[in-house]
Amino acid sequence: MQDHATEQELKDRLSLIESMIAEGRRNTERWGWMFVLWGVAYYVAMAWSAWGHSARAWPVTMLIAVVVAIAFASLTAGNHPGTTLGRAIGSIWIALGISMFLLFLALGLSGRLTDQHLFAAVISAILGMANGASGLILRWKVQFACAAVWWAAAVATCFGTDSQGTIVFLVAIFLCQIAFGIYGVIAEGQERKRRGPIHA
Amino acid sequence: MPDLPELNPVVHGRLRLALLSLLVGVEEAEFTWLRAKTEATDGNLGAQLLKLEEAGYVAVEKRFVLRRPQTLYRITETGRQALTEYVRALKQLLGPAIDA
Repeated sequence: MQDHATEQELKDRLSLIESMIAEGRRNTERWGWMFVLWGVAYYVAMAWSAWGHSARAWPVTMLIAVVVAIAFASLTAGNHPGTTLGRAIGSIWIALGISMFLLFLALGLSGRLTDQHLFAAVISAILGMANGASGLILRWKVQFACAAVWWAAAVATCFGTDSQGTIVFLVAIFLCQIAFGIYGVIAEGQERKRRGPIHA
Repeated sequence: MPDLPELNPVVHGRLRLALLSLLVGVEEAEFTWLRAKTEATDGNLGAQLLKLEEAGYVAVEKRFVLRRPQTLYRITETGRQALTEYVRALKQLLGPAIDA
């Protein structure tokens, strides 16, 4: 067989193996939308609490976002096979969700969630941790850059005025949730377009 | 000069090679997922998966989830070994050209 196989054809086979193995492990399109969803949810909660002056803004928005995220995940779950890597990344985000839910629920109920700077700093630090861990596991520089932005936001929101802290938090949400999420979806689409269909 | 290795013709087919490479990274995968990843037609994909199944490289499981039929594929140990040997043979054939 190899008499007929050109060097280019053999190289093509090798790159096909590499790209398909990577493809099997990739889930950025699905998670890209999830990042955008949470980014929008943060914006809605912040706008509602700022203009509506409602204490229910964050818990209600977060609850709706959880329901939408679970519905979306269960709808797409059947189309995505399980991998060890996928479970590792999923575990980070599930643990993050549980930690944030318990911490902010307890802080809210105890009446100690009064410092806006502390609130933004804690959320930013936790999101920096999750993005950092995920970026290191996936060796994904863009996601690790998001972690760096969150960590910078965590530090920056501890200083300055309320409005300065809010602006920093809003910018971090835009860059690391909405822009990063859309980037994930586009990158996946472009990769598929570049590769094209595989024929026998 | 050492003998050049033979490339396994079952693994060498582009779509079959893509399918084995996809399945090696996951625990099991649905027909629809494999179709989406390879963008192959139903008929072509089914035919190539059947060839892999006949060679003992993939195992098939059919089940119903919420009354909907679901066909799951997973790579067997023989399939994993065949892919590993294919990659080894490919690298040997390419030799120094692999980095070019």
